[in-house]
Amino acid sequence: MRLPKALVMATLLLFAVVVQTTLFGQVRFVAPDLVMLVVILFALTRTRAEIVLLTAFGAGLLVDLLGSSLLGLRAVVFTTVAYVALRTKDRADSGRIATALWTGFLTLFGVILLVLIGTLFGQSILLGPDVGTRLLVVPIANMTLAAIFAPLFVRLIDGDTKALRFT
Amino acid sequence: MLNQEPRGRTLPVLISLIVVGVLLMTIDVRSQGEGVVGAVKTGTQTLVAPLQKAASYVVNPVADMIDSISNVANLREENAALHRQLADAEASLVAVQDQLARLEYFEQLYEMESVGNEIGRTVANVIGRPDAFDSALIIDKGTSNGLVVGQPVVDTNGYAVGTVKSVTSGSAIIVPITGDRQGLTVVVEDQVGMLSSQVGTTRMRLEMLDARDPVLVGDRVNTSAQSTSFPAGVPVGLVAEAAAPLIDTLTTTVEPFVNPDSLRLVVVLAWPPDPVTITSDDVVVPEETTTTTTEATTTSTTGSGG
Repeated sequence: MRLPKALVMATLLLFAVVVQTTLFGQVRFVAPDLVMLVVILFALTRTRAEIVLLTAFGAGLLVDLLGSSLLGLRAVVFTTVAYVALRTKDRADSGRIATALWTGFLTLFGVILLVLIGTLFGQSILLGPDVGTRLLVVPIANMTLAAIFAPLFVRLIDGDTKALRFT
Repeated sequence: MLNQEPRGRTLPVLISLIVVGVLLMTIDVRSQGEGVVGAVKTGTQTLVAPLQKAASYVVNPVADMIDSISNVANLREENAALHRQLADAEASLVAVQDQLARLEYFEQLYEMESVGNEIGRTVANVIGRPDAFDSALIIDKGTSNGLVVGQPVVDTNGYAVGTVKSVTSGSAIIVPITGDRQGLTVVVEDQVGMLSSQVGTTRMRLEMLDARDPVLVGDRVNTSAQSTSFPAGVPVGLVAEAAAPLIDTLTTTVEPFVNPDSLRLVVVLAWPPDPVTITSDDVVVPEETTTTTTEATTTSTTGSGG
């Protein structure tokens, strides 16, 4: 991973964390999971798979450190989601809608995993009153954002203006 | 573009990272968020808090605008209700001012002095939340404003919100009572019970192990004098379902007054007013912090507790 690419990725992750914890922390009804979205879209780039996994782990750890729930919870979830994303990313290549749907399903997988592991470790703070709604709203919000921003994100990270140009 | 398959090392890396993650979770559970884990969390929050504060200056107007648009249908009714509340509050204020004047007269008459037992209050802005699933609140006040871990937090009406979970010099994380694993000792009429959060609902579960009388819908639930996390008498919510004791146990649900999702301002109480830190040798060591009271900014000796 070249330094500029690492720098761009780190900046994007930090931006996602700050926007997630401020803007989407206050506007709860349209809340996506921006950090998970960045991790999923990172799997679409030409970055080495191991780097993607390590970045996902680090991103999850950062969110854990800023929150009130268990340290390592999101690190495990984001790493698993990144792995599944790496294994299935061929399915996102056929068009903007396919990319969005793929992102939505991966986010759904991620949030279900988050709630399941959180429950196993007694994290009742993750199981708030509208957990059912959020399990649907977060993937839909991520799906919408992926449809809009996925090509731009991949081009920015890879420095390739022709990436994800669907015909 | 999508021509890179995961290589042979991907699965070992995944397994290693998951093992590390599970180890971290186990350590965090066992250390209860203190020690090294707590220090690393505080350090990270200290680094990111300035960015969050800066972002909140930009974000707050946007969030307010989105909120206003989503609530435009209710604004007229809310405005009328607020006008009625304002009229009531003004009438109450006149009555209270009259009583204060009489109190001052009698204090002067009998040469009495106020004991100054009011609880220090620090008003803080909610600048965000960790993510879509974590209902904790991030506020813009920290140790530099006198906050310590464990202090109780109420909303601007004085209703119970939660407790301070972690604190940095300029920010703190509040865990609401609806998401806290630890129960809250409350009182309904004169019966003491334990209030705990429930999965997937706003309502909380109230359990009384020494119940004598039934509770009715609308009965007020306040914090108990036996509570170690809140001062006595802080309103928490209303009983949502009537229930009678079975032998001497009573279980029902309570609708809290506060919805943490809608909070923009909270008030951190410097309670207990003169707490102490118990060391491993059970030596009582007062800890110095700054406390802001409602009347004026003063400095007093407070410390970790709750």
